[in-house]
Formats: sequence, structure tokens, C-alpha cells
Amino acid sequence: MLTARRRTARRLTTLTAAALCGALLLSACGGSDSGSGDAKTLRLWHYEGPDSAMGVAWNAAIKEFEAQHPGVQVKFEEKGFEQIQKTAPMVLNSSDAPDLMEYNKGNATAGQLSKQGLLTDLGAEVTARGWDKKLSAAVATTSRYDANGVMGSGKWYGVPDYAEYTMVFYNKDLFAKYGIARPKTFDELTAAMDAFVKKGVTPLANAGAEYVAQQYLYQLALSKADRSWVDSYQLYQGKTDFHDPAWTYAADTFADWVRKGYISKKSTGTKAEDAGVSWIQGKAPILFSGSWWYGRFQSEAKFDWDSGLWPGSELTLGSGGNLWVVPKNAKNKELAYDFIDITLSKKIQNLLGDKGGVPVAADASAVTDPRAKALIENFNALSDRDGLAFYPDWPVNGFYDVLVSETQKLMTGAEKPDGYLSALQKAYDKGVPQR
Amino acid sequence: MTVTVEEGTRAAGRSRPDGPRRPRPRESYALFLLPGVLAFLAVVIVPFLMNTGVSFTEWQGIGTPKWTGLANYRELLDDAEFWASFRHSLFMVVAMAAVPTAIGLVLAAALFDYVAKHLGARVAAVLRACFYLPQVLPIAVAGIVWSWILAPDNGSLNALLKAVGLGSWQQDWLGDPDLALYSVMAVMVWVQIGFPLVVFMAGLQRVDPQLYEAAELDGAGWWRRFWHITLPQIRPETSVVLTWCTIAALKVFGAVYVLTKGGPGGATDVPSYFSFSTFFEKTQVGYGAAISTVLTVLILALSLVGLRLQTRAEDTAEGVRA
Repeated sequence: MLTARRRTARRLTTLTAAALCGALLLSACGGSDSGSGDAKTLRLWHYEGPDSAMGVAWNAAIKEFEAQHPGVQVKFEEKGFEQIQKTAPMVLNSSDAPDLMEYNKGNATAGQLSKQGLLTDLGAEVTARGWDKKLSAAVATTSRYDANGVMGSGKWYGVPDYAEYTMVFYNKDLFAKYGIARPKTFDELTAAMDAFVKKGVTPLANAGAEYVAQQYLYQLALSKADRSWVDSYQLYQGKTDFHDPAWTYAADTFADWVRKGYISKKSTGTKAEDAGVSWIQGKAPILFSGSWWYGRFQSEAKFDWDSGLWPGSELTLGSGGNLWVVPKNAKNKELAYDFIDITLSKKIQNLLGDKGGVPVAADASAVTDPRAKALIENFNALSDRDGLAFYPDWPVNGFYDVLVSETQKLMTGAEKPDGYLSALQKAYDKGVPQR
Repeated sequence: MTVTVEEGTRAAGRSRPDGPRRPRPRESYALFLLPGVLAFLAVVIVPFLMNTGVSFTEWQGIGTPKWTGLANYRELLDDAEFWASFRHSLFMVVAMAAVPTAIGLVLAAALFDYVAKHLGARVAAVLRACFYLPQVLPIAVAGIVWSWILAPDNGSLNALLKAVGLGSWQQDWLGDPDLALYSVMAVMVWVQIGFPLVVFMAGLQRVDPQLYEAAELDGAGWWRRFWHITLPQIRPETSVVLTWCTIAALKVFGAVYVLTKGGPGGATDVPSYFSFSTFFEKTQVGYGAAISTVLTVLILALSLVGLRLQTRAEDTAEGVRA
């Protein structure tokens, strides 16, 4: 006969087993909606807002795809950037992987996934469908990754449909109000900033708590750098010395600009949104930032404005946009390739350009909006001279946080330029992948 | 063995030894505990053990982790940023436990003893709800609103200072490394006050009113009654509040994430945010796991000490009453 304790133990075991079985059944049911591989469904994930240039273009591409593939349904799931960024490895490693997904480009993101074998090598499709002919070398840099997950060479793991680059946004009304001419050279830019400070206006919109401040710094360094400098820093093709003339000039000049009042010390804790809004509200006459602001400025800025490349620099921040990647476990890869092909068509690319995006394969003459035309022409000029230098936080995982934190210290004077550069060197050396 | 014999002896004395036996109360209680135990195992114990396992590795979150033994913990000992984040935690204990408890005590006594008596229980209840409101607000919402209030250029605090002729007092509240931690602390005091206030007001309900009446007849003023009656009588509640608030302060994350992201220049970094950024942003998963393991052990130890002190205080109070 069983004792009471044994009976209780048996009941506990039975209940535990029942609970576990229940959980397994539930998880099995949850996974039943995964891609079936029936060539009748394309499961697509991306994180572009529906009103953004890319969002509008992808929606048009979905309609086009469905028209070209009668009987095939596109199951689109809108995801958040952070959501995909933080969970991609787990999702792609499971049977729930979509057929096509938008993913962030760079060594620490797409590079890591490719290194772990989670992405499909698109090489054969790229050649067969002629995608390589449509993408410039600079844009394609972020599409290819070697066995160590380092961009620039190796197999094709992603295809970008758009590009992005940084530029100087000028509030022409404010320049006119204070009788200051729009600068064409770097010296004219500093002279204009001096003139604004004398009128009591802080010339540069800035955000120390997010990427804007570090982009000013990286642009200053780029103005003294060349392609081999960028390749050393971003592609580890040489030794990066943060005390070299380019980085030293950048740190000294940035600190000097804060001292002179070109950049407000009060922007140490502000975010990118604050910088953009202060420019939109006409509080700051100049903002240096990326093409991702363009569409918003077009719709929200109530004054006459203009943009141009950073004066006196062959290089600027920029790259191909986020990538279409096809997960290794995707069920309907052929459909995914067809969709990518449609997004690279002239029709979708021209639409993207008209909505304020930077298309990679548009017919510039077909883009009608004059500002969008200028945006694309500037990009083409940059692309033709191999001027895209990526972003300063790309080379090392977590370098973004280091740059934010250290640049804040530089702004407040808690760190001198030399100490600032040493701190960057330490974090960079610690994080650079061993090859 | 003893149990089996005892069970057998008892069973032999029953009229229906082979029939279904009604479970003793203690056994049936165990069944009710089962779902909680399973959930606790699944949600707390298993992840904690997995996290501890990961803390002994070098891992980027995907691929195969590399076993490194205690290397992460050794690195932690020499990591100035980690220790700085712990120093900031002590400031947060002041802001989230010490100050709100002190203010909550005084406010609770004032509402209970003065406002309720002279202005009515309803007014006291409304004021209590107002003080408790920040506890109901999601911290993300509260944080965003406070970041607007404290914004350097068009924030309402600076605008208010300017409007009342105190323009020289305007500050970059969250962007100045000398001020940012104190600004976050001030926000957290605002967030926290409601919790001790509500607990203390509940505690005051059980204090014998005759004590206050007797003291009043003896000529004791409000402060003397507060000091000699209120404080000793609600010592168990004080202990609970301090323990809970200290734990909340040690693991504070949301407010720092929304207000400053640990900046400027790490001036407001706290261990939980440091662990998060190491884990997810820098993808140093092993090192991030080591930080969170140390944090968990520390919070656990402090909780046990707090609960022990609380039990001792309750025992003492019961002894006094007996």
C-alpha cells in the first residue's frame, strides 16, 4: 500500500506531467501558423512606417507582387526595428522564420547572422537577376559578408533597395533674416556660424544623448580622411589610431565648437528628435544629419530650406539602406526573390524617390519633385566618387553607447580631446573582431 | 520510516481501512501551491540558473558560448563603470527609499491626524489618491513627461523659473553631469512617495486612538505624538516600506532608460541599465549575465536581511503587547 507521502508525490508527478504536456501542446498549436512552403504564401516582415518613403514603396510592391502572382497571398507583419534587432537570431533559428525580412546592415547585425549561417547566400540570384548591375559598389558593400561576418567582400546575404547619406540642412529664411550668405566652403561655414553666434543664435542643432553629436565628430574626421582610412576603421584593413591627425582634428574642432557656442552645451542630454524639432521650429539655422529626415522636413518645415553635402569633404556618412535578407529556414525562397526583384524595378524605385527616399536604381529623370531630384543627384555624385563612409558606431558591437557617453563628456569638458580619443581607442581595440 | 509506521497505526484504527482516504489539510494545501511553484520554477529559478551558467562564458548571444570560468567576475571587480553604477544605486536608495519613507511618514500622519479630522475623511482620501497617482502611471509615460519638464531650452521648469524672475537658476537638468543624477533622484522621489504614504495610512488605522487622546490630555503636541506614538506603532510598516523601496531602488531601470539612458557620460548609470546595455547593446551576453547575477544575489541578500529585521521587529512588538 502506498504511503500518503508517496501518493502525494505521485499526484505531483502526474500534475507536473500534465502541465508540461499542456505547455507542449500549446506551443505546438502556436507554431502551426508558420510558413507552409506551398508556394502560395509569402511571409514578409519589415519595420518601415506606412507613411515613410520606404513604407509607401513596399506597399506598392506588395500590390504589384500579388498582381504578378495570382493565387499567392502576401502575409505582411509589421515589426518594430528594436523587435527584429533583438529577436532575429532566435526567430531565424526556428521554423517560424519568415520568407523575407528587412534587417539592419553592418558587421554587428547582418554580418553576425550570416556568420552563424542563419541567412541564405543570394549570390546566384544576384547574378541571374542582374541585381549586381543595379547597385553601385559603395551601396553593395553592406550586402556582402565574409566568413567572419565582415562586410565588403564574400557572399551576398542581403539586398538594399535604398540608400542613405548625411547632409547639411539650411534654413534659408533664417540666413536671410540675419543677412548671412549660405556657405559653399568650410571656411564660409565657420564664418556663418560665427556670425550667428554674434547675433545670439546657436547655429547647429545637436543632440548629445543620441547619434547627432557623434555624426558631427565623424564628419569632421572624414573631412581629413581618405578611403584607406575608412577601410582601416570600418573593414579592419589596417591599424586604426584614434590619435591620428584626422581623429585629433575632429575631437579638437568639436570641443572648440562647443566652446565657441556653435554647439550648445545644453544639447548634451537631448535626443535626435529634439535636434530635428528645433530645426523644424526654426530655432537652429543648420542641422547636419541624414536623408531619413528628408520626407519629414518636406512636410513639416514651414520655411524655405535647402540642403547640400558637407563642404570641403570628399567623404560623408552614409551607406546602402537596410537589407532584404532571406532566412536560411525560409519556406518560399523563390517568392522572396521575386519580391526583391519587384522592389528594384524602376516603377517602385521612382515611387520611393518621389516620396523623399534615396532610391538605388531609379530613373532620375522620372522623379518629379525638385527637392527629391536634388537629393538623388547629390547621392549619385557621392556614390560616383565612392564617398560613402558608413557610420562611426559600426565597427564594434556596443560602440554606439561608448560614442554617446564619451562625446557627452567631451561636450561638458569632463574629458579633454586626448582622453576622449584614448577612451575610444580602448573600446575599439577591445571590440574589434579577431581575424 | 517513522512516518510510515505512524500512518499504518492510524489506518489500522479506522473503520474503513481500504476505502478512499480523505487527504489531510496539509496535503491538500500542497496541491494549491503547485501552480505557483511551477510558475516560480519556470519564470524565476530556471532563467536564473541559465543566466548564471551564461555568466561563466564569453558569448555574443548567437553561436556557441565559450567557457571562461570566473573571467567575467574577475573583469567585473576591476570595471570602474560597474562600481560607478553601484555608487549611483546608493543615491537611488536615498531617493527611492529613505526620502520617500520620511516624507511619506510625515504626510501620512498629517493627513490622518490633521486633514481627516479638520477637513474631513473625503479630502484626506482625495489627497492620498493624488500622492499615489505617480505609482499608477507607467514609468515610461512619467519619464517622458518629466523629460519635457526638465528640457533645457523649452522645458516648463526652466520656463517657470524665467517667468518668476529666477532666470539665473535655469539649468540643463538632465544634460549636466553634475546635476543629472540629482534630477533623476528628484523624479524618483515624486514617483515613490505614494507607496509609503498609503501603507502608513493603512498602518495608522490600527493604532489605538486612546493613545493619542491620552497623550493629548497630557498636553503632548502634534510632533511629540508623532514621535512617541505614531513612529513606534507603525514600525512594522516602516520596515516593510524600507525593504520594498530599497529593492526597487537597487533594480531601478525604466526611469534611467527613459530620462537619461545612463548619461551624460555615465553620470546616471545604474547596475540594471549597465547590465542591459552590456547584454543587448554591446552583445557581451556573458558579461551582462555576470552583472545581473551579482545584482540578483545582492538584492536577494538585502531582501533576506530586510525580512529578518522585519520579523524581529514584529516579534519585539508582539512581545511588548503580550
